Amino acid sequence: MKILFLGGFAASQVEWIAPIIESDVETEILADDRDLQRVAAALGEVDIIVSEAWRTGMPAAPRLKLLQLPVAGTDRIETAELPPGVTVCNAYGHEMAMAEYAVMAMLVWSHRYFDIATGFRSGSWRDSGVMNGPLHREVSGLTVGIVGLGQVGRETAIRAAALGCRVLGANRTISSPPPGIAQVFPLADLDQMLPLCDIVVLCVGLAPETRGLIDARRLALMKRDALLINVGRGAVAEEDALFAALRDGIVGGAALDTWWRYPTPDEPDVRPSRHPFHELPNVIMTPHCSAWTEGMARRRGADAARNIDRFIRGEPVLHIIAKT
Amino acid sequence: MKALFLGNVAADTANGIRAELIPELQVDIIADPKELSPEIAAATDILVTNIWRADYPPAPRVRLVQSVATGIEWIEQATLPRGVPICNAYGHETAIAEYVLMVMLVWSHRFREIESDFRLHSSWRPSWVHSGAPHGEIRGNTLGIIGLGRVGQEVARRAAVFGCRVLAANRSPRAAGDGVERVYPLDALDEMLPLCDTVAICTAFGPETERLIDARRLTLIKPSALLVNIARGAIIDEDALYAALRDGTIGGAAIDVWWQYPNAAEPERRPSRHPFHELPNVIMTPHCSGWTAGMVRRRWDEVADNINRFVRGDPLINIVTTT
Repeated sequence: MKILFLGGFAASQVEWIAPIIESDVETEILADDRDLQRVAAALGEVDIIVSEAWRTGMPAAPRLKLLQLPVAGTDRIETAELPPGVTVCNAYGHEMAMAEYAVMAMLVWSHRYFDIATGFRSGSWRDSGVMNGPLHREVSGLTVGIVGLGQVGRETAIRAAALGCRVLGANRTISSPPPGIAQVFPLADLDQMLPLCDIVVLCVGLAPETRGLIDARRLALMKRDALLINVGRGAVAEEDALFAALRDGIVGGAALDTWWRYPTPDEPDVRPSRHPFHELPNVIMTPHCSAWTEGMARRRGADAARNIDRFIRGEPVLHIIAKT
Repeated sequence: MKALFLGNVAADTANGIRAELIPELQVDIIADPKELSPEIAAATDILVTNIWRADYPPAPRVRLVQSVATGIEWIEQATLPRGVPICNAYGHETAIAEYVLMVMLVWSHRFREIESDFRLHSSWRPSWVHSGAPHGEIRGNTLGIIGLGRVGQEVARRAAVFGCRVLAANRSPRAAGDGVERVYPLDALDEMLPLCDTVAICTAFGPETERLIDARRLTLIKPSALLVNIARGAIIDEDALYAALRDGTIGGAAIDVWWQYPNAAEPERRPSRHPFHELPNVIMTPHCSGWTAGMVRRRWDEVADNINRFVRGDPLINIVTTT
């Protein structure tokens, strides 16, 4: 069996995946997926491709049977452009890291950690208990609403519940509440959940029914001191509306890890939005790194490798997202 | 019966709990102890405060000292009548446990540096987008808690849910459980320290814990480890910790409690004689880990409850010592 790690990202993941594969395989790495001549040559021979992207206009891949994503996100896969007979699977392991991030953002926001640490480093005791300074908040007792009860949402719920939060959830498909969650709303009833929440966590991927889900009208339904955390995808929140809501105090703040604009080779340090979110004091902002931990790389690499082994042994594969 | 609420914190407490106190109780509120008159001091039965100095006017009628804080080291007992119970108040353990989890997360995820670089310079380096170096997470870390009291237990329960392996060291023997895998006696602390990715000091201050973490013990801690102190500054040897952080003997520290505090003459006094604020591997906050609205509400409830118990003649809670 021949496996191709295609593209810069997949190439960077070889060390976490290849050593875990138990089957006898031949591995090829092609980091530059824009070199179409070499891509065409490689695609002619491979059975399995590891890549997070499949664009339009890719050369023919007549033997391809498995496209194993080294990530969970499927938004860069053009399924219609794949040859027939391909199984597409994604990989998990990011959910623990992202749940830690979501809870960390809740804690940092409630405890006003960034402000207090900055003030104290410059010499001020104004936030001190011994000076009878202003009180901050705890996350204990807050109501957290999680939009999207996939693996990330569920791991976040377990941790938030352990901190004493009341946890609500909204999900497309409705089931009995997963551990830690007091009540599950159908996604269609999101408007009923939003006004109850001190913190709203977006844990959904991008899909037609989630694009622009958090728009100006829904932002206005949230509490004025609420925190919106987005670890899903930038476009789940409406860019213009969110900026205006944060600037005008419609919502209290936001912790954003996913964005509307991403860097390109020409603009490696591009700002993540056409609006200056970085000038707003009520925004915590990070460069799409919530999942980017060593633990995630280890878990996800092992997940992808085990799936490749299953496929080669003829066993049922996990995490199937499409079959062409 | 007369209660005196003395000092800023006690004055706020009085305003917060007045409606809950038994109506027959007479209440005096003096926010600035310098304004305490001998007449009021002499008439006080219940002293509610976090501070009492030997040079304050005599208070011979006092039968209960109710602290509005957990630590009572600022209440000088020499001039108080003998045989008076001193009670403290808690309610801070939830807030402090959240703080400990927060600094563990912030440290492992390199949250502050990444946030600041992204805000100021739009740096995507820590992201998958540039396949940057991954950061850490707390899942799978070993946390060692020194002092398994109310705060330590709350930290343990939370950290276990996050997938940490939790060890503890405690003066009195305790069973493992409630998230704690193993409890070491405090005199076996040296066995626990080398195992920990995070060491969290949650113990009370006293003769056995003063300078408990000295230069020798700092060398037992992993060079990558984070030391968290939310208890009292003097539990750590100040000079030794500064040197250990500067020289990379340990990875970093999250410090909320200090060796020096501000006073009227020096309101912006630095918290140590060493420039901890110049070290990049220090998370530093001004003794505020427990300083939350939830803590105040819970603490007020305890103070009001205990005062009412005393007035009614019911058994007191939270007796720390007797003068």
